Amino acid sequence: MDFSYTAKEEAFRNELRTWLQDNLPEGWLDGTFEYPEEENERAAFLRDWQRKLSEGRWAGISWPEQYGGRGATLVEEVIFEQEMAKVKAPPIINTIGTAMVGPTLLQIGTDYQKETYVPKILNGDEIWCQGYSEPSAGSDLAAIQTRAVKQGDKWIINGQKVWTSFAHLADKCFLLARTENTGKKHEGITAFLIDMHQPGVEVRPIHQINDAYDFNEVFLNDAVAYEADVVGEVGDGWRVGLILLSHERVGVAKQTFRLQKLFDELADMAKTLEKNGRPLIEDQIVRQKLVGFRAKTRALLLNYYRHLTDTIRNGRPGPEGSLDKLASSELGQQMLAFGVSIQGANGQLWKEDAPVNANWQKDWLRSFAYTIEGGTSEIQRNIVGERILKLPKDIKH
Amino acid sequence: MDFALNEEQTLFQNQTRQFLESKGDLTIPRSYMEGKEEVLEELWKGLGDLGYMGITISEEYGGLGLGDLTLVPILEEMGRVVVPGPYPETVAFAVPLLQAYGTEAQKQKYLPSIAEGKRKVTLAVLEASGELAPSEVQLQAKVSGDEYVLQGTKILVPHGDIADTLIVPVRTGGTNSEYGISLVIVDADQVTLDTKKQISMDETRKMVQVTFNEVRVPKAQLLGPENAGWGILQSGLIHLNAALTSTMVGGMDRVVEMSTEYAKTREQFGQPIGRFQAIKHRIVDMKLDMDSARSLSYYASWAVENKTDDMVEAVALARSFSSEAYLDIAGKNIQNHGGMGFTWEFDCHFFLKRARALENHLGSPESFRETAAVEMGWNGKKALV
Ligand SMILES: Cc1cc2nc3c(=O)[nH]c(=O)nc-3n(C[C@H](O)[C@H](O)[C@H](O)COP(=O)(O)OP(=O)(O)OC[C@H]3O[C@@H](n4cnc5c(N)ncnc54)[C@H](O)[C@@H]3O)c2cc1C
Repeated sequence: MDFSYTAKEEAFRNELRTWLQDNLPEGWLDGTFEYPEEENERAAFLRDWQRKLSEGRWAGISWPEQYGGRGATLVEEVIFEQEMAKVKAPPIINTIGTAMVGPTLLQIGTDYQKETYVPKILNGDEIWCQGYSEPSAGSDLAAIQTRAVKQGDKWIINGQKVWTSFAHLADKCFLLARTENTGKKHEGITAFLIDMHQPGVEVRPIHQINDAYDFNEVFLNDAVAYEADVVGEVGDGWRVGLILLSHERVGVAKQTFRLQKLFDELADMAKTLEKNGRPLIEDQIVRQKLVGFRAKTRALLLNYYRHLTDTIRNGRPGPEGSLDKLASSELGQQMLAFGVSIQGANGQLWKEDAPVNANWQKDWLRSFAYTIEGGTSEIQRNIVGERILKLPKDIKH
Repeated sequence: MDFALNEEQTLFQNQTRQFLESKGDLTIPRSYMEGKEEVLEELWKGLGDLGYMGITISEEYGGLGLGDLTLVPILEEMGRVVVPGPYPETVAFAVPLLQAYGTEAQKQKYLPSIAEGKRKVTLAVLEASGELAPSEVQLQAKVSGDEYVLQGTKILVPHGDIADTLIVPVRTGGTNSEYGISLVIVDADQVTLDTKKQISMDETRKMVQVTFNEVRVPKAQLLGPENAGWGILQSGLIHLNAALTSTMVGGMDRVVEMSTEYAKTREQFGQPIGRFQAIKHRIVDMKLDMDSARSLSYYASWAVENKTDDMVEAVALARSFSSEAYLDIAGKNIQNHGGMGFTWEFDCHFFLKRARALENHLGSPESFRETAAVEMGWNGKKALV
């Protein structure tokens, strides 16, 4: 057991810190930066940020050097997420591309796919979305019904996707569709790379409870995919789809570090807010609850590191990621709920009228998605119960 | 960066498990509860033979000279079996204090015999209120020539009936303050102690009331400087609380394992009950708590071994979290076992009762959280470790 970093890892951290100091938008670190309110302006701002990151070779650090990455180790990726969380860096708009699609194509894509798509992912020239979920296939993803039929060297796709994040901004989509009905639902699925700017694709943003429009319905009416855009083998899409997800290897780290930051913000808020003329942090109930959160955020981080140690030792991640996902999403919800709760009656106000900072209300509402997106908490509990504890499998059809 | 047990630690873990299995696993606490107190003697001797009593004792006094982290897997294994005996008190309280504050003569006298498995040491700190606070240390030590004369009563002394040596905070000065507390080492065979067993729910961890009636101990038995015992006590409790947390983690590990095994084999409605999500998901939540407690405890022991700046906070967080989580999941384990879990014959209740015994022992979860709050620099009244 050794809870310290090597000199090389510390050097990596310092290089990133220096880069962030020099390159974060004006006013970012001292908190005077104003996020563009308008959707298109914000997208433009985020695309700029992505370009800057890729120029500094910080957009996809785990990518091989020849593709603009740094061939970073897992620990370096973790340090990266830690530092980004510390300064609350702007999000990477093309994260589906950089974290998942790119690495998947580099792993199992054809030369054509590598040449055509990979270079435009890191610099954000082409933004990707992930078309998996459908109205009747959510947790039961293998139940997808969107169909792709071969016509000459094209595939014609019909059906509907839903909850597709960033589809309204995306240029490309990594899409799962059914190419054969064998009667077994995990068979006959194929993974396609499709263009979002074509007549057969219609995107309708969905209004979310936090008053944002980040995910969408995607209607596919004779949308086209070319033969060269099949990833892996035809009919092998279930496996390919899982490979894509397996590349999201630091997603939990990201959330884990955000929660460390969130804890600090929560404590800071409790030092500023007052109750009966005393700082809230001196209130016994608030104080006790906060230290409880402190223990849980520490435990989350240390659990994550222990699982990371296993991953490094075994050379691949195990199902423990589900434990981290489960814990982080629920803890995030609890802390944000507490953050709004200690704002008292004014806590119900949001946007311009938010009593402390509108992010508390916005993030609290956003937190209700934590336990749904990327596999619900119920599904994560099934995964842990069945794969780690080896309890009997759930009833499935 | 490496957050798992290393090879040596894994070796200790396997060895301890084998040893405890050879001694009867969960029949150890059961036999002990049923009055066969000799199991504790056998256990202690076996631990001495394996060299486990001297892990943290430096080599010149017959130990292995290793740190707190090495104790972690051993303590976890002991917690898995809810073993009786003042092992944490001896190796993770008496040993670090003797090494840090003992005179050469004290070290010579105590450390080698502890390492050989010939001496059990316990801590007699609490008085009537059961609270750990300077004002509660009222056992008087009057100087008479080169002796102290002790007068007063300590309660909740773990295994105070069979301990060879007791470390006792006494009052040599002041009335309620930290100043004036001193630690004395009392050898049970040198004096007459009036001991009375207290009826504790956890019969595997015997609680004893010890009355000191004009008990005379030589001044040479003072541990550390006179009147400065409170601070010394705290530095020992850091080690002890980290160690107790490890035993709780072991108990939690066992409880999760019991629930998991039972859920695979017990059938109702034609299914193993582990197929029902109400059971499956509850066990997953129990595992998550166990993992969190283990991570916090690993870090706490690492921090103690390396004397990091956040050592006190780390131990306080681990201890408060584990105290509550252990009690909670030991209860859930009973629920998962149905009526079987409610029986005296089944082992579920050992864990529940041990969790209850440790929950508020030497500090409540609330008091540990308050300690952490103060350590984080949040102003407020400093509570007690
Ligand atoms: C913010 C957000 C962004 C998203 N982005 C994307 C994206 O970019 N691309 C994409 O493809 N998808 C995306 N999703 C979709 C997401 O993956 C699904 O919402 C999720 O898998 C759950 O599916 P569902 O919504 O159909 O709920 P359902 O599967 O219908 O679940 C409803 C409830 O039933 C429970 N349930 C279902 N099955 C079981 C079971 N076997 N045992 C116990 N309980 C069960 C669930 O846990 C849940 O509580 C996103 C979702 C959100 C909220």
